[in-house]
Amino acid sequence: MSIIPEELRYLESHEWVHVSNETPGIATVGISAFAVAELTDLVFMALPKVGQSVSAGHEFGEVESVKAVSPMYSPVSGTVVEIHSELVNNLESLSVDPYEGGWIMKVQMSDPSELARLLDWTTYKHQCDNA
Amino acid sequence: MSLPFVPETKFGVPLAGGPREGVVRIDPPLSGETNMAIDEALLRDATPESPIVLRVYQWEQPTLSLGHFQSWEDCRTIPGLSDLPWVRRKTGGGAIVHDQEITYSILIPETRNKTSKGHSELLYRAIHGSVVENLKKLGWDAKLSETCTCSTATNQKEEPFLCFSRRSPVDLIIGTHKILGSAQRRTSAGLLQHGSLLIHQSPTTPKLIGLSELTRYIPSKFVQEAFHTDSISNYNQHMRETGLTDAFFNSAGAPSVARASLDRNAWADFLVGVLKSRLSEIANCQWR
Repeated sequence: MSIIPEELRYLESHEWVHVSNETPGIATVGISAFAVAELTDLVFMALPKVGQSVSAGHEFGEVESVKAVSPMYSPVSGTVVEIHSELVNNLESLSVDPYEGGWIMKVQMSDPSELARLLDWTTYKHQCDNA
Repeated sequence: MSLPFVPETKFGVPLAGGPREGVVRIDPPLSGETNMAIDEALLRDATPESPIVLRVYQWEQPTLSLGHFQSWEDCRTIPGLSDLPWVRRKTGGGAIVHDQEITYSILIPETRNKTSKGHSELLYRAIHGSVVENLKKLGWDAKLSETCTCSTATNQKEEPFLCFSRRSPVDLIIGTHKILGSAQRRTSAGLLQHGSLLIHQSPTTPKLIGLSELTRYIPSKFVQEAFHTDSISNYNQHMRETGLTDAFFNSAGAPSVARASLDRNAWADFLVGVLKSRLSEIANCQWR
């Protein structure tokens, strides 16, 4: 699996989602390089549990950096089928590879049509450039 | 939980440059659970039309508050902490013993889309900078730390457990002692910042000294008057007339010539006065 930022969909709150051709019902979710840069030194990340339901636009986890706790929002609705548990002990890797190696959870989507409501790369990049 | 009736002192503050309202509330000492529930409710219920709320409060008994991700088990490494009642804050950072200190919270409702992540350095600096400025007027050599202990993804387990033993660049220090520290929480509803101003040394954490232990001898009636902004120039004039200048204190081995006997309510008033005067600036900043 190769994850390229230009091919992802985004929430305006900086979470990305990727759906591969091999597993079309499964969405891989992470946070963008822009978010990682804004967060600076990440010290904690709380992940959802496998089997947990997530809803598009609602919180699925939390991160702490510089004494500030921030939410992470799910771009899609569905059930968490896998989490990247090693990531919480290796958060510095997010600044090197926030996409392929920095995925956070995989979700069995309940409504794949939600993907169409997310931002494409051009729109998301424009938002970041004007932040 | 349902909140008990709290006989708060609450007043509106007109804010320049926009339609937003500011509200200042001063609560009586409350339990840790109630104090946290009030702040959580302020954040949970915030809407884009909600006022900016500045809350200054105390605790009815010494209480340990943990940063959002801290483990209570870790407090066992410090004698006395595990005997205290404890609560968990929504904000990050290290643990605080709420005993001889004043706590504040400020709630800034989100008025735009929920695009921001992470801390707002501007808010940390606006609040701490205004306290620095006013402590300087009272004679303390207060400044921002501009150094870090520093919490990162790789070394966070080495950070001291207690907030006041940590250093971040925006912490307020006098000499090498941290006197004011703050932490934040973002949600789609807004940004909540908690902070603690350390007034006196607590018996539970004797290594952490507060403003009173860092006090030069200041005639208390002038300190009391100086808490009212209009009196600060009178205080400074008195200091000049009596020769109690910074040079005097430095030559006398200050800043610990003697201890001030100020009660914490006076410091709560001080904090309200300082932060209230900056609410318009805070309201009009871009908290990105």
